[in-house]
Amino acid sequence: MAVYKRGYQRYEGTRTTAWERLMVLPRYSWSRLITQRLVIAVLMMSAFWPLLCAIFIYIANHGELLAGFGQGFQRFLAVDGNFFRVFMSVQSVFAIALAAMTGPGLIAPDLANNALPLYFSRPMSRWEYVLARLMVLGGMLSAVTWIPGLLIYGMQVGMAGSDWFSKYWNLGLAVFVGFLMLVLLTSLVALASSAWVKWRVVAGALVLGFFFVLAGAAQMMNAIFRDKAGSLLNPIYLLERLWMSMMGIDSPSESEPGLVQCVFALLGLCGLMLLVLERKLRPVEVVK
Amino acid sequence: MNLWAKQVLTIARLEVRKAFLSKRGLWVYVLALFPAVIFLVHGFDVKLKRQRWSSQITDHALLEGVQAGETASDVRMRLGPPLMDREFGRRRRGEDGERLEEERYRHLRYFDGQRRYDFHFTNGVLKEKFEQPLATLEENSQVFAGVFQYFYLRLAVFFGCLGIFMNLFRGEMLDKTLHFWFLAPVRREVLLVGKYGAGLVAAAVIFGAGTIVTFLAMLWGLDPADVQAYWQSAGPGHLFWYTVATVLGCVGYGSVFLAAGLLMRNPIIPAVVILFWEAINGFLPAVLQKLSVLYYLQSLCPLPPPVDKEVPAVMRVLLAPAEPAPAALAILGLLGVTVLVLWVASRAVRRLEVNYATD
Amino acid sequence: MSNEIIFSEVSKFYGEVLGVNRVSLNVPPGITSLVGPNGSGKTTLMNLMCGLIHADQGTISVRGMSPRDPEKLMRSMGYCTQFDAAPRGYSGYQFVSAALLLHGYSAAEADERTWKAIDRVNLREAAHRKVAGYSKGMRQRIRLAQSIAHEPEVLILDEPLNGLDPLVRAETIALFREFAALGRHVILSSHVLQEVDVISDQVILIANGSIIAEGQIHNVREEMSEHPSQFLIRCPDAARVASLLFAEDHITEVRLHADRMGLLVLTRSRERFSHLLNEIVLGGQAIESIVQADANVDSLYEYLIGGGR
Repeated sequence: MAVYKRGYQRYEGTRTTAWERLMVLPRYSWSRLITQRLVIAVLMMSAFWPLLCAIFIYIANHGELLAGFGQGFQRFLAVDGNFFRVFMSVQSVFAIALAAMTGPGLIAPDLANNALPLYFSRPMSRWEYVLARLMVLGGMLSAVTWIPGLLIYGMQVGMAGSDWFSKYWNLGLAVFVGFLMLVLLTSLVALASSAWVKWRVVAGALVLGFFFVLAGAAQMMNAIFRDKAGSLLNPIYLLERLWMSMMGIDSPSESEPGLVQCVFALLGLCGLMLLVLERKLRPVEVVK
Repeated sequence: MNLWAKQVLTIARLEVRKAFLSKRGLWVYVLALFPAVIFLVHGFDVKLKRQRWSSQITDHALLEGVQAGETASDVRMRLGPPLMDREFGRRRRGEDGERLEEERYRHLRYFDGQRRYDFHFTNGVLKEKFEQPLATLEENSQVFAGVFQYFYLRLAVFFGCLGIFMNLFRGEMLDKTLHFWFLAPVRREVLLVGKYGAGLVAAAVIFGAGTIVTFLAMLWGLDPADVQAYWQSAGPGHLFWYTVATVLGCVGYGSVFLAAGLLMRNPIIPAVVILFWEAINGFLPAVLQKLSVLYYLQSLCPLPPPVDKEVPAVMRVLLAPAEPAPAALAILGLLGVTVLVLWVASRAVRRLEVNYATD
Repeated sequence: MSNEIIFSEVSKFYGEVLGVNRVSLNVPPGITSLVGPNGSGKTTLMNLMCGLIHADQGTISVRGMSPRDPEKLMRSMGYCTQFDAAPRGYSGYQFVSAALLLHGYSAAEADERTWKAIDRVNLREAAHRKVAGYSKGMRQRIRLAQSIAHEPEVLILDEPLNGLDPLVRAETIALFREFAALGRHVILSSHVLQEVDVISDQVILIANGSIIAEGQIHNVREEMSEHPSQFLIRCPDAARVASLLFAEDHITEVRLHADRMGLLVLTRSRERFSHLLNEIVLGGQAIESIVQADANVDSLYEYLIGGGR
């Protein structure tokens, strides 16, 4: 029977909200990701460091346990900006590893299988698609970054009391905002890599390459120019400068780039990743 | 010519074109030539500064005589107008950790014809004095040794080989084209050798040339007399051994990544493990250090790398580089490991099945 | 040396998923069609023959050669796969000639054979264009050209008629017949069952990884005698004939056509049905025509594989 004879009627029932529709992608991705053994392994490994830090905080806040130790050791156990900086630096390695593992599988398969036209033929814009994919990574990375970070901070506040909090209230904010910046950058890098190359495996290598090769290239430039300006190419350096500044422990040498330059460089990297996504995520099949 | 040899050559010829000319492989050239570009820019910068500053040379003895504690105006009065005079303020947290205090900084720069002197004043008083040659052969050689061993071998050759050699089999799987090769009347082992040969030629030429160009770029901008003397003494030997180390790096890493691409569905995992192993290698006991490709490659390098200043002091104490292996042993060791890895890869390629659905 | 392709108790699993199960086959030269629904194991059988995948159990011999020895096997085998991609950046000409160079042909010989194969599939004008830019039908043809360029003794074709226009399809079928006439094996799979029906010397029916039937189409049909045969009868008084037919126990189903002048009859005994029809005609009922409704591959397919399809 011809279609027009079927008495076509549009669907008139209730529809889910735009927000619920958007959440379909993250929900499916999360449920797929948490079945992967490797992802579970990294998530578990990334819980060790916060656990160690929690033990550290417990010991540091129990003076009776430290009675026999000297002043030097007690100073070492101080929970301050430096403690949280080290915590964030180590934890960021797990975040990058997790992003390299989970990020590439989010867009590359859609590109490889020409699935984008299918997505974009539904009520979903390109940027909504990117947002949905960002939420997948944001959720995963939050579990290893600011959530354990704030738990550690909360534990310290609970144990050390209001005096400590009034002196170091900025550390909680620094942990939250600093980790959010890390999550945003690593997620964008992972998504851009995934959109740049159609292969998941290569996209994973690209994420690692982005952080490691750029760090190496930055050090190389610094060595050749006997300068520190090359550090602006190193995303990890840029993030650490931002964290330290928010924690009030940023004391760069004179030759190092200023904080404003670092922030602009970070924003520039994020912008670059968004540009890649804008260029690559198009609902067309490209045959080369 | 023997059929196998002919087939190896045919495969290598077909593959090498792809490795050299594919748009997808352009990033390898960027990795290989990036240090050369930076050295060239530096050389150009040195030449430009020498030209610009030569009109304002300050006496060496006067510059050496400046002592900590002097004021900026005294120094300026004694040495004359500087090449650079920069003044700025910065707010720092005070001793109590709460109050922000404003500090004034001033930087003066002078040039004695060979070296630049930087005087850093805090609140008007000289706190630090830096003396740095504009560029010397000795210093540039040290920098090159560091760049070559920390960046070039450890990252550029590593990631370059990862890309090139992984593409040979795993890439064909992902492109769904591996059956093209498997449906040819060619032994799988012959196919492996042909593809490895193609990857090796591409990697060795790109990174070998990159090493040579970077080495030449390092010398550009230096005093021509120094450079000529260097070429007549240690220069050719240094260049030779750096190039050998690069090529052997491609041989070693290439075989490892080729095998990883055949054995693992996701070769990034072994790549990360190897990268981590090579990175922590310097901190391991001597016996374990010898279980890395980098140890043998560094043994071939004519100059040891300078200790990285970025490494924290505590970590630097733990750094205990093992005695370098003799050159012959390093070369034979690497080639031996390569043959072993390729043998493992040949076993894997015989068992390999074309099943694109799982990739 | 055996002239046949022999599968002995061959099984293949993809992890926990069954590919083919205890398949035993003897495929003589000529055109053989593998017929079965999607996922039934046709491509698995073909890939096993070529050594692209290896059997977990059992042995395979292709004219006396093992699929684990590609150096020997692929000299006399051509496989036109379903995989759509060619090595990155290859033109149609390069796609064919590179394969010939790997056979060990000289550049001149490879060039000559390449053009000959490309001409056979009518792609000369597009030969220097990249395969990635070809239409589906052109890709199918260039793959066919590559698989026949070295004049193989065994030609395996996975869905070779997909995407071809009717004219090219007819030419391609002629090509298969030409190959088979030389005493070669031509093994193909297809969902275009009518074409398989027409061109095949033998058919292998496969479902869920197992062989359901093999042999010439009519022989296969005979083998399946326990299944009801279908006949279409045209007659002026179909209702009366239907009542006469239905009185017999070997008649399992009778369907009356909407115009009341046609019947679809299912019988368990062709012989008794034949006698019954004679009696009905002698009894004065006019029968205009009788056609067997299930002698082609489609109906076999329905019977043997579909199970209600």
